[in-house]
Amino acid sequence: MQVYKAPLRDMQFVMHELHNSAAHVAEIGQTDVTAELMDSVLEEAGKFATDILLPLNASGDEEGCRLENGVVRTPKGFVEAYKKFCEGGWGGLSSPTEYGGQGLPEILGKMVEEMQCSANLSFGLYPGLTHGATLALEGHGSEELKRRYLPKMIDGSWAGTMCLTEAHCGTDLGMMRTKATPHEDGSYRINGAKIFISAGEHDLTENIVHLVLARMDGAPRGIKGVSMFLVPKFVPSEDGRPGARNGVTCTAIEHKMGLKASATTQLYFDDAVGWLVGEPNRGMRAMFTMMNAERLSVGIQGLAVAETAYQSAAFYARDRIQGRALSGAKYPERAADPIIVHPDVRRSLMTVRAYVEGCRALSGWVATALDLESKAADPERRQEAEEFVAIMTPVVKALFTDLGFELSSMALQVYGGHGYIRDHGMEQLVRDARICMIYEGANGIQALDLVGRKMPAHMGRFLRQFFHPVQAFIETNSDDPKVLPLAKSFAALQQATAHLAQVSQKDPEEAGAAATDYLRLMGLVALGFMWAKSAKVAEAKLPHANGDAGFYKAKLTTAQFFADRLLPQTGALWGAIKAGKASMMELEEAAF
Amino acid sequence: MADVQKVAVIGSGVMGCGIAAQIANAGVRVLLLDIVPRDGTNRNAVAEAAVARALKTEPAPFMSASAAKLIETGNIDDDLARVAECDWIVEVVVERLDIKQALYRKLDAVRRPGTAVSSNTSTIPLAQLIDGMPETFARDFTITHFFNPPRYMRLMELVTGPLTDPALAARVAAFCDIALGKSVVSCKDSPGFIANRLGIFWMTGAVSAALDQGLTVEEADAIMGRPFGIPKTGVFGLMDLVGLDLGPHINASMASALPASDAFHAINREAPMLQKMIADGYTGRKGRGGFYRLSKAGGKRVKEAVDLHTGEYRAERAADLPELAAAGRDLRRLMTGQGKVAAFAWRVMGHMMGYAAKLVPEATDEIASIDEAMRLGYNWRHGPFELIDMVGADWLIERLRADDFAVAPILERAAGRTFYRVENGVRQQLGLDGEYHDIVRPEGVLMLEDIKRTAKPVLRNASAAVWDIGDGVLCFEFTSKSNALDEQIMALMGKTVALVKQSYKALVIYNEAPNFSVGANLGLALFAANIAAWMQVESMVATGQEVMQKLKYAPFPVVAAPAGMALGGGCEFLLHADAVQAYAETYAGLVECGVGLLPGWGGCKEMLGRWATAPGQPKGPMPAPTRVFEMISTAKVGKSAADAAEMLVLRPTDRVTMNRYRLLADAKTRALELAVDYTPPEPREIVLPGPSGKLALDQAVAGFRKTGMATKHDVTVSGELARVLTGGDTDILDTVKESRILDLEREAFMRLLKTSGTLARIEHMLETGKPLRN
Repeated sequence: MQVYKAPLRDMQFVMHELHNSAAHVAEIGQTDVTAELMDSVLEEAGKFATDILLPLNASGDEEGCRLENGVVRTPKGFVEAYKKFCEGGWGGLSSPTEYGGQGLPEILGKMVEEMQCSANLSFGLYPGLTHGATLALEGHGSEELKRRYLPKMIDGSWAGTMCLTEAHCGTDLGMMRTKATPHEDGSYRINGAKIFISAGEHDLTENIVHLVLARMDGAPRGIKGVSMFLVPKFVPSEDGRPGARNGVTCTAIEHKMGLKASATTQLYFDDAVGWLVGEPNRGMRAMFTMMNAERLSVGIQGLAVAETAYQSAAFYARDRIQGRALSGAKYPERAADPIIVHPDVRRSLMTVRAYVEGCRALSGWVATALDLESKAADPERRQEAEEFVAIMTPVVKALFTDLGFELSSMALQVYGGHGYIRDHGMEQLVRDARICMIYEGANGIQALDLVGRKMPAHMGRFLRQFFHPVQAFIETNSDDPKVLPLAKSFAALQQATAHLAQVSQKDPEEAGAAATDYLRLMGLVALGFMWAKSAKVAEAKLPHANGDAGFYKAKLTTAQFFADRLLPQTGALWGAIKAGKASMMELEEAAF
Repeated sequence: MADVQKVAVIGSGVMGCGIAAQIANAGVRVLLLDIVPRDGTNRNAVAEAAVARALKTEPAPFMSASAAKLIETGNIDDDLARVAECDWIVEVVVERLDIKQALYRKLDAVRRPGTAVSSNTSTIPLAQLIDGMPETFARDFTITHFFNPPRYMRLMELVTGPLTDPALAARVAAFCDIALGKSVVSCKDSPGFIANRLGIFWMTGAVSAALDQGLTVEEADAIMGRPFGIPKTGVFGLMDLVGLDLGPHINASMASALPASDAFHAINREAPMLQKMIADGYTGRKGRGGFYRLSKAGGKRVKEAVDLHTGEYRAERAADLPELAAAGRDLRRLMTGQGKVAAFAWRVMGHMMGYAAKLVPEATDEIASIDEAMRLGYNWRHGPFELIDMVGADWLIERLRADDFAVAPILERAAGRTFYRVENGVRQQLGLDGEYHDIVRPEGVLMLEDIKRTAKPVLRNASAAVWDIGDGVLCFEFTSKSNALDEQIMALMGKTVALVKQSYKALVIYNEAPNFSVGANLGLALFAANIAAWMQVESMVATGQEVMQKLKYAPFPVVAAPAGMALGGGCEFLLHADAVQAYAETYAGLVECGVGLLPGWGGCKEMLGRWATAPGQPKGPMPAPTRVFEMISTAKVGKSAADAAEMLVLRPTDRVTMNRYRLLADAKTRALELAVDYTPPEPREIVLPGPSGKLALDQAVAGFRKTGMATKHDVTVSGELARVLTGGDTDILDTVKESRILDLEREAFMRLLKTSGTLARIEHMLETGKPLRN
């Protein structure tokens, strides 16, 4: 049985204490969003996750989606749950009020997203994609398209998708074949086939709005000839209600390792009516708005699954009795001690916990930047926030999802053989978590994005938004021994960064060879920074914590664990990076 | 002709005035004469107006305002007899034989016997010019053909006749070489001499080939430009610069002068579109526009180009020619194959090479002269024979034959081999006799390029190299990209100082890149700053300071020999050398404030020291900081070596070399002079005003801020600069040590580097090449 209760206290800590929500809402001009308001939203969202979504997670995995006569049926209970989701207004939590959203800050929105994905990742995908699609449309669509589609998507009655992949092109979208032909009324006719389209067809909403990449006649070759089109499943009639069925059909759904309650579809576009979103041949730019949002969300999915795995494993470790503590029986009255007494079980639990809380703190930091980039009054601040998001997006996506899989596997291990059978739901978490490392740009691509694109951009300008705060924190706290491990790791990161910037100028393969290790190194330093800051906050609060003392003590201990046991990996990663590509690229292809 | 005290220049048009200015730049007095204007009372008005105009022209014909004072203006009617005061008479009047000859007859009557007379004609043969003149005149007569603008174009073609006195010609050549800094190429008395003969063939061919192949002007210029090492103006952009209206005159004069068999006639066709453009006033940059123009229609500045078929302007379109990228540096591949790119490249450049070979022996007997003329007269990176060596003479011969293009004898001689080769470290050229002949540098010319052909560097790393240039002198060469200064350069300089101390007499800092150094590697500094690697940056600043101090106080003389730009850290090397031997075209300055920084390698310290001890300055501790502050805060760059001297970047004891080729030899000579009984300078301490002085400078900046002349970040940068230059917390009663000023420099540098305003400036400079005014 999967165990999940929203980690409300930790979320409050991240929002209010670590990232100072009061100052944050003031900076984005939303002082009406009080801590109390945020807390009550969190509480309600937590209830929704535990009461409505969690019970459908295992059953949805068991049942999966079915394709019947071109219609996809989601598992039992999903339609009802989605209805409640819309009634609760959860879909438009952070969407603009102008189109019916609630306009709440992302720092809150991302927490709610995490809860939904913790409780039921498959379910979370449907509204998650819709949210991403609204961002792309809001950023690049015409007023007419925005007016017609955004309110419906934000209230959840219509869903959204992103259609990029084709059978022969995934990462290399320049090879795309789907065609868009202009029509005399200003619309386009879309023809082609797409695969791996999440939520491409389902029974949760009355309409589905596809954002489709396609190539216009005579467009330049490669990625610079790709445009974005809005293709609805039903073309809205004049009154705005779904009208004629459009020429887009679901021809198959994929049979996957996990995430079975999410419909992954193949879509066939046959003279489907579509409208251009953004400028011709600038489709990737528009799609990147959506993809960047999605990449952060996918990172949070990794974190979310690991949280559920942690709660489940912690529950099991306290419950399951087996053997005795190495230092002698802790519960002599019982037949055996609970396995939580064992250092190695502790090691697993502490590792998962330290990463999960660290990731949550980091996602909170990135979420504040998401708010600032659109809402800060000072344009310089907006620019800086945008650059921070740009540099952290690949880190969050790849680090969190790598960890999501590693940690759920580690949590499964706590169960022993019981983790490997279906009843406890741990193997579902491992299977579900696995996709997050792949979709929205595989993690290897994220690492390349970081090292090849974000790092060298403007002579390292994006890096500044991360490196300067960390350096300033280390300088301010140079007398605090707790900060020393961070200082050491940060020095390794600086060296690795300068080294890569230099060697990759001469040989881009060096950057490619180092990319994944570098991303992990930077990710660990980011988590180390979050932990060091968290520890400072907890230390300051502890003397007058009263009933909360246990929480702050646990923070300090977990921070120490992270610094002692996890952060030292940075030294090994820097060593690996320094070694260069030689042994990696040496073997002849035939030797593989 | 080192004894030339005064030169008469007759004719004060753009060329005449430019030549006069360059002679004045050399420190020689000039008598500049032109006609008496038809109206008005001032009989010298024409020549006077020319000098006044030249003082306002950019790029400036004069290297300094004081040079202009060496020019005395007059008119031909009243002052011609004064040519008797002059040691050389240069005629630069209108290109009409009758007028020139009439002038020569008058000149001959008044000049001192034996005074050299030369004409700057570009179209009239020498034989015609001296036709009917007495033999005594012919003996003293040459053609000295300068290129426009005379200060900056390093080529001068020298034409002598059969009667010209060789000794006199050699004296004229020596003066033009040493005093005026020109590379003198001897030509025969044939039409267009060398550079224009070939250049006109090339341009005319390119225009007709572009029309035939249906290329746009952008495409033609893209093919001609970068791939062949020709300035990116290509052909059409160059014609815009020169003026379209000159073309028909020059072509007509070439056509009438060249024999019927010459290949020029085949490509010299009427171009109605060109004629129409000229008739409508579209004569290039000086007119309403040329093949390109900047349209300001609708308030927007749009670059436009002419459609060669319709004659209409349209928005400029960057050439999209995958063939160029595909061929890379393989010129043979670029000129081979189907398609308009290959056809155009071959017809223009292939035929140009074939025609160049024909100029031996018509225009000269030496291929090296032709290459030098095209390199310096047209700014080509490679001369035609160097290009032939790249594509192969045999390949060229075969292609030319296929086109029925006559293969010149010298080209046939090159079959199976190259035009140039290196034998025993000496570069040789192929002669018409089929033998290779050494290319001998004139006396007083020493080139690193030659030394490097055989020698191995004494020391070297990724960014610098050290060469033994003989007689116990080492030469330190920057080799990094754009000669940007980095850790490697500083490290090698440190080693070099130790080495010279041990085993050599002196050190020269010199290189043969277009610019001595444009300063520190800002890309590295910015990246380090972005990742908050403050310690590394600070140690880079500190190391640089140490190296500079070591150079200054080394027990041997250090001579810096800059050419081109010497900015920021590059300028600081000059400031720490014991002597500077500067190429006249040196542009030096401490420009750090432009990128939101300040000189951190001792630049502030040295400039303070110089202005504090400069004669003629008001007393007290304030004048020196004030003068240095004005210079550094505005990032002032000297527009010549003479200008640098006025800024005290060069000291009165520093020297200037007019000819780029002679710079290293002059620097070496200077170093050896100083090495005799050399004693290093004594460290000096100066009195600085301290906080009250800073206040005064801050107030001045606040005033500039109010009037909008200073930006927000200027105030921050100036404030830090003011603190350094006034000595920090010092007191008027104290003296400040050099080490203290260095500390102030370093601390201020680091504070500035941590501001977002400075980081934005650096980034903007690196990405756009332009300063950001934030």
